[in-house]
Amino acid sequence: MSIVKIDAGILLEMFANGYRNLCRKEAQVNDLNVFPVPDGDTGSNMAKTLSGGVHAQMQEDDDVSASMKKFSKAVLLSARGNSGVILSQFIKGLSIASDGKSVMVPSDITPFLKQGVDSAYKAVANPVEGTMLTVLRETYEACEDTEEFADFESGFAYVLKEMQKSLSHTPELLPVLKEAGVVDSGGMGIIYIFEGMLAYLNGEIIETDSDREDLVIAPATASFGPDSVLEYGYCTEFILQLMHAKTNIATFSIGNMISYLESVGDSIVAVQDDDIVKVHVHTFTPEKVLAFARNYGEFISVKIENMSVQHNEITENAPKTAERVKYAVVAVASGDGLASYFAEIGASRIVDGGQTQNPSTQDFLDAFRTLNAEYIVVLPNNSNILLAAQQAADLYTDADVRVIPTKSMAAGYSALSMMNTWAEDIDAFIDDMTMCLSSVTSGSITTAIHDACINGVEIKAGTYMGIADGEILCTCDNNIGAAISMLELLPDIDTKEVITVFYGDGITEETANNLIAGINESFPHIECGALYGGQQVYDFYLAIE
Amino acid sequence: MSEFVIIADSTSDLTKDVREKYDVDYVAMNYVIDGTEYVASLDWETHSAKEFYDFMRNGKRATTTQVPREAFISKFTHYLKEGKDVLYISCSSALSGSVNLAKVIAAELAEEYKDNKVVCVDSLCSSLGQGFMVIRASELRKEGKSIDETAQYIEDNRLKVNQFGTVDNLDYLRRAGRVKASSAFFGNMFGIKPIIISDIIGQNYAVEKVKGAGNAKAKIAQRVAEVVEEDGMDCLYITHADCVEDAEALRDKILELVPFKNVMMNNIGPIVGSCVGPGTIIAYCYGKKVTVKGSE
Repeated sequence: MSIVKIDAGILLEMFANGYRNLCRKEAQVNDLNVFPVPDGDTGSNMAKTLSGGVHAQMQEDDDVSASMKKFSKAVLLSARGNSGVILSQFIKGLSIASDGKSVMVPSDITPFLKQGVDSAYKAVANPVEGTMLTVLRETYEACEDTEEFADFESGFAYVLKEMQKSLSHTPELLPVLKEAGVVDSGGMGIIYIFEGMLAYLNGEIIETDSDREDLVIAPATASFGPDSVLEYGYCTEFILQLMHAKTNIATFSIGNMISYLESVGDSIVAVQDDDIVKVHVHTFTPEKVLAFARNYGEFISVKIENMSVQHNEITENAPKTAERVKYAVVAVASGDGLASYFAEIGASRIVDGGQTQNPSTQDFLDAFRTLNAEYIVVLPNNSNILLAAQQAADLYTDADVRVIPTKSMAAGYSALSMMNTWAEDIDAFIDDMTMCLSSVTSGSITTAIHDACINGVEIKAGTYMGIADGEILCTCDNNIGAAISMLELLPDIDTKEVITVFYGDGITEETANNLIAGINESFPHIECGALYGGQQVYDFYLAIE
Repeated sequence: MSEFVIIADSTSDLTKDVREKYDVDYVAMNYVIDGTEYVASLDWETHSAKEFYDFMRNGKRATTTQVPREAFISKFTHYLKEGKDVLYISCSSALSGSVNLAKVIAAELAEEYKDNKVVCVDSLCSSLGQGFMVIRASELRKEGKSIDETAQYIEDNRLKVNQFGTVDNLDYLRRAGRVKASSAFFGNMFGIKPIIISDIIGQNYAVEKVKGAGNAKAKIAQRVAEVVEEDGMDCLYITHADCVEDAEALRDKILELVPFKNVMMNNIGPIVGSCVGPGTIIAYCYGKKVTVKGSE
């Protein structure tokens, strides 16, 4: 069959199929990590990002233009990780290209890609070649050079082939990939999405048991208390078995039920399948909905969730402060210890996340909304979280949001420790925190999960690596030795005065104290101390200043 | 030649030599360790500075008392009986209640001793910042100024004495609670050094924070250079809590920027020392008027 026209329904199904294909390959994409560290998360980040769009609420009569707008907006908000943010911007480009179009035709493929590529490149201040960006751009350029596509199947097949070609030479463009013997993970992710889209065109529905919908609907927490206000009502869902004893099933009209639901709620989805009715509605009075529904039958299942609880999930213990403050800091922290120390030294809100759990744009926006501040300063504390933080800063309008591009927990802690709440203006406030960043070295110690040779350092699986500012400097068979060796290898260690060690989840205080004793012995001029960080994967983070 | 006596107290950190040279006396406050009260002698008669700060290093808490009523009365009456006026230059009233008590006692004694008087001046400072003002008063006395002129001079110029100090360990400040600062200063931060000034009401205030002891010394030197004026170049005053090497390093850093003619250095006495802890270094100089008022 030759498909020459795609409407909104098909397009969304294609994305959904692409998404399911990516979910299926998520772990594989995660494993394309340049360091032998089990913290690759590109696959998860892209899947979570796309999940927002796939699970977005659509109207039945939305055309391509309207659907893409909703899809793109949802993806933008769920974007996390740099690859996720680039993906979200690519999709935003597709949405811009689709503006005013009720359907898509094969000749749209190339201009859509062009707009997507333009938008994706704009997301990154310094685009790096040999990444997903290259894969998208080269694919678009190849499309530009070819004849018009006769149908979507051949168009998408061509796109996919070009993507694979481009991906295969990413290691030539980016030395770190070549050294690690991998291709770019983001590029791989985008290929799985397009592979799934093409599969749909060819009639193949991909199934996966790792749908990330669970991540879209946040788990409930105890954040709704005795003095809370019911702001958002209840998300109410039920499956109703129509009963002969109560109604004439043959003449039952779902339309009547929808009319009633509209009088007590919104966001309504109601479908009838023979003698079963499925309903989803947001309402402040779920009891009325249930009572009405029971006039026609009995429930198979009912689920009612307080949406304020979902909404408040990020902002636990954090009602919007009544008094407006000049400056507020939002910091990303991974590990319970780190989170509490960031809060203790002045962060107003902690966004949970870090090396393997990158927060989304929405997570940042939720944190911003709980603050009543003239300026909000964000410490992303991870280079892979920077873009999502910036995207959130661009989207937020109730405060002037600035992002200090801290690339590690250690650097973020160091910056925050220099915060002056009495700074005269926002520039001075930011200067106080950024000034120390030029002199802080971020160290981390973790175990290699496989053999590698990086930067001339021979790494055996199971040994500890000493990593300083993202570069592997040394390995050792124990974590303390790796830390001391790393410090010895720092060219400017003699000018350093202070080291703060954060020890990770599963590391004992005794081990941390042994490291401190070791540092004191090797570097008597340095003042140091250990704090429980509670981070995963990394035995130690070190802020070396 | 005016016949008046100048009296300082335990926080002035003036050594015996200096007190003799400038002919000044002092009244003592007390400190308490393990429930025993000791006189805070400026000459470290009970415990040496090292012994005192070692107590703190080993986790003992020292508490302090203001000048006892009896000490004021006996010291003041001793000189009044000799027919002399007394000028008491006190520790900052934001740090000790001594000056307020002294004023009450002075008023009481005024009824009995009608020919002579006790004048109390709040230095709004402590340690060698207060000590500097005591020395200045002595110089004015030598120049023939009256007790009232001298007292007036100190009141007019006391805010020109600038203090820049830093501590080795924030725990002591946190425990003593005698330094005003944002709570963000007192988190679990290693290597954070506050720069502590004496503000316009004489309270110690952490005005800025710096990372690392070396940077703190450099910052103090920079701040001294910013405020010192021509008439303050005679002498730099440095006090330390049993850390003479740090004090010397600070002195050298400051002298690189400002060529003071002399440097006076001494240990911080137990009264101020119990609030700031071992490892504290403070520089005092005379220059621009302090305008900062600390807040939380």
